[in-house]
Amino acid sequence: MLDMGYKTYTSFGLPTFLVIIVALYLLFTDSGEAFDVGRFLEETSPFVWGSLGIGLCIGLSVLGAGWGIFLTGASILGGGVRTPRISTKNLISIIFCEVVAIYGVIMGIVYSSKLQTVPEAQLYTRDNYFTGYALFFGGLTVGFCNLLCGLCVGVAGSTAALADAADPTLFVKVLVVEVFGSVLGLFGLISERKHLFYDITH
Amino acid sequence: MPADLCPPYAPFFGFAGVASAVTAGAAFGTAKAGIGIAGLGTFKPELIMRSLVPVVMAGIIAVYGLVVSVLIAGNLTPSKGYPLAAGFIHLGAGLSCGMTGIAAGYAIGHVGDSVTTSVVGMILILIFAEVLGLYGLIVALLMNTKVTALVDVCN
Repeated sequence: MLDMGYKTYTSFGLPTFLVIIVALYLLFTDSGEAFDVGRFLEETSPFVWGSLGIGLCIGLSVLGAGWGIFLTGASILGGGVRTPRISTKNLISIIFCEVVAIYGVIMGIVYSSKLQTVPEAQLYTRDNYFTGYALFFGGLTVGFCNLLCGLCVGVAGSTAALADAADPTLFVKVLVVEVFGSVLGLFGLISERKHLFYDITH
Repeated sequence: MPADLCPPYAPFFGFAGVASAVTAGAAFGTAKAGIGIAGLGTFKPELIMRSLVPVVMAGIIAVYGLVVSVLIAGNLTPSKGYPLAAGFIHLGAGLSCGMTGIAAGYAIGHVGDSVTTSVVGMILILIFAEVLGLYGLIVALLMNTKVTALVDVCN
């Protein structure tokens, strides 16, 4: 803890140093106005935001599901060496993790129906900006929520498998923890449901 | 030269607020507390049902995040003008709920993991951890009410 190490210096110090150098360069060469967050947000196409959001939605959800499945699966297979009876019953934990990926797929498909071909002259309207940002943050939220949910269900499922191996009566009780965990992915879906009502149109 | 009070990129920050209200702490709390419950259950099975309380409390933290994000998203409509100030207020509200939720969920997780005998003592400590998330929710709701006063700035 006391020894910061070169990892901290490079991961925090180097980007900060580069940002300061670029900012001072812009300032001293009389182009300080070039750093304009609003102009960047206005100049990027709404399709960029929408597509990024959809990609993040499905990508992060599947990452969470996969992570959870490997956490649970490793414990089930390992515990199944000594107690083979746990293998079939604990597959339900794998299904809980899989469901998280399905949430991501559903939201990805629904969001992608909102992207329609628009010629560039009519692309930069207020409504299209709004939809682009909505899709980006909707996809990011759903993906991030599902990532956390998948991890949580994975850890809980791995714990359930090992508890089941120790004592069969414990399985159902630790399953309750998994159900609470899988509800988190559902919350992400619910809070981004509102974004389904807008689309990028003419 | 006065800047545009309702630029078209204002919803970016509003939606960032919606996204940041999602609490990562609830997932950490549920998982860590679940590990503790399974460990406790192998040698004291009669205490399991009572030691599910940390998991429920982590779920409540997730509900706080859901409430704030739905509330903020309800104020974001494309038809009415959306001032940039409202965008930043929403961003602040979402961040306050999300970050306090991370703190509360982290505390609930570690407390839930360390339960051994006294479930009553654990619940007392958990109440104080839960209240951290509640403070964030209250601040987020307070900030959100400021936005309703800003609605007719765009005309």
